[in-house]
Amino acid sequence: MDPLQQELLQLICATCNLNDVDLNQIGPDDPLIGPESPLGTDSLDALEIAVTVQKEYGVRMDAENTSRSVLQSVATLADYIRKNR
Amino acid sequence: MPDFPHHQSAHCESGVAANLLTHRGIKISEAMAFGIGGGLFFGYLPFIRINGLPLVTYRAAAGHILRQIASIPGVRLYQKKFRNREEAMAELDMALASSIPVGLQTGVFWLPYFPKAMRFHFNAHNLVVYGKEGNEYLISDPVFPNPVRCPADDLARARFASGALAPKGKMYYFTALPAKLEHGPLIVRGIQSVCRLMLDTPIPLIGVRGMRFLARRLSKWPRRLGRERADLHLGHVVRMQEEIGTGGGGFRFMYAAFLQESAEIMQEELLHDCSASLTTAGDTWREFAAMAARVCKGRARPDDTYAAMAGSIDRCADLEKKIFIALKQWAKRQA
Repeated sequence: MDPLQQELLQLICATCNLNDVDLNQIGPDDPLIGPESPLGTDSLDALEIAVTVQKEYGVRMDAENTSRSVLQSVATLADYIRKNR
Repeated sequence: MPDFPHHQSAHCESGVAANLLTHRGIKISEAMAFGIGGGLFFGYLPFIRINGLPLVTYRAAAGHILRQIASIPGVRLYQKKFRNREEAMAELDMALASSIPVGLQTGVFWLPYFPKAMRFHFNAHNLVVYGKEGNEYLISDPVFPNPVRCPADDLARARFASGALAPKGKMYYFTALPAKLEHGPLIVRGIQSVCRLMLDTPIPLIGVRGMRFLARRLSKWPRRLGRERADLHLGHVVRMQEEIGTGGGGFRFMYAAFLQESAEIMQEELLHDCSASLTTAGDTWREFAAMAARVCKGRARPDDTYAAMAGSIDRCADLEKKIFIALKQWAKRQA
């Protein structure tokens, strides 16, 4: 994982109170939301992540770049932030 | 393999409408299809229950966008529902044999290409079938990034899912379209229809008044329902707004994108301003939803209260009232 991806993963864990997650076990392309996600996050967590990312990085997930597509993985989220901030 | 312009979209009905029109040579964005189809709405209808919880919706009823587009002069949309599954599949095959991509209403639960976590009982999911290979249909499902395939038995089951909003095999496709769409009058008409619903309905449960009604109700939920059921109701209100499932929220952002595109087409600064304001309203809705998510997940901050959430919804109502009054006056000037 690159530094931004690591930073995002830590931010997500802090936002969603995921205290028992071993960050070393998470890959950049692992699903971020849903039962396949090693984080165990769901659509309500996704809402919070979207709001936190907007506040911290000033990028909005909007009609064309929905949180559904941006929040597929830490890698897609990091790419979106790099392109839009 | 048959050719079909698949584009992923935020919302299935506007996505299907845009993809079907684009296939017929009328290139149109999802946001524009959503806007001219009058897709934005708000309704809180506590007497209609979904899984025992009151219906709240942030967009027009299923089928509204396609109906609005079908009523454009020069547009004809063939639509049919069926009682018989075999007949429904045979008519689909006949259309495909004539190289006609067909829109279908389906039940998400029976579509095997959906991840299990997303397979809930929602029976108004729209998709386009554009071909068949062997026993598999080729599908442009607008919530997926790429076309997908579905076995015939599963698609038949999805077309005849039972329960609320049962699709009854509904299929549709355009049989006539004008050479090009005159966007100006359609934009005005679409804005007028949304303004009417958001501002001028006598029913206090829909539009801006519906938002205020929800805010009042929501502030009383902990006292009236007890904490556990209040959180359950709150989670339901927010799930209808979230964007990961197929229902999809973010409708304020999509309408803002429509207003932005319209501003450029019509060279109208006011539409730019309304687009920016609606984006702010979308952000406010999202902040309310994030607060609600924290409450539901048991990680509320000290100022995450039901009163604060009701305040957020009231702020959304204030913002949207201003926007739709401005749009209503603008649309009146265009008439």
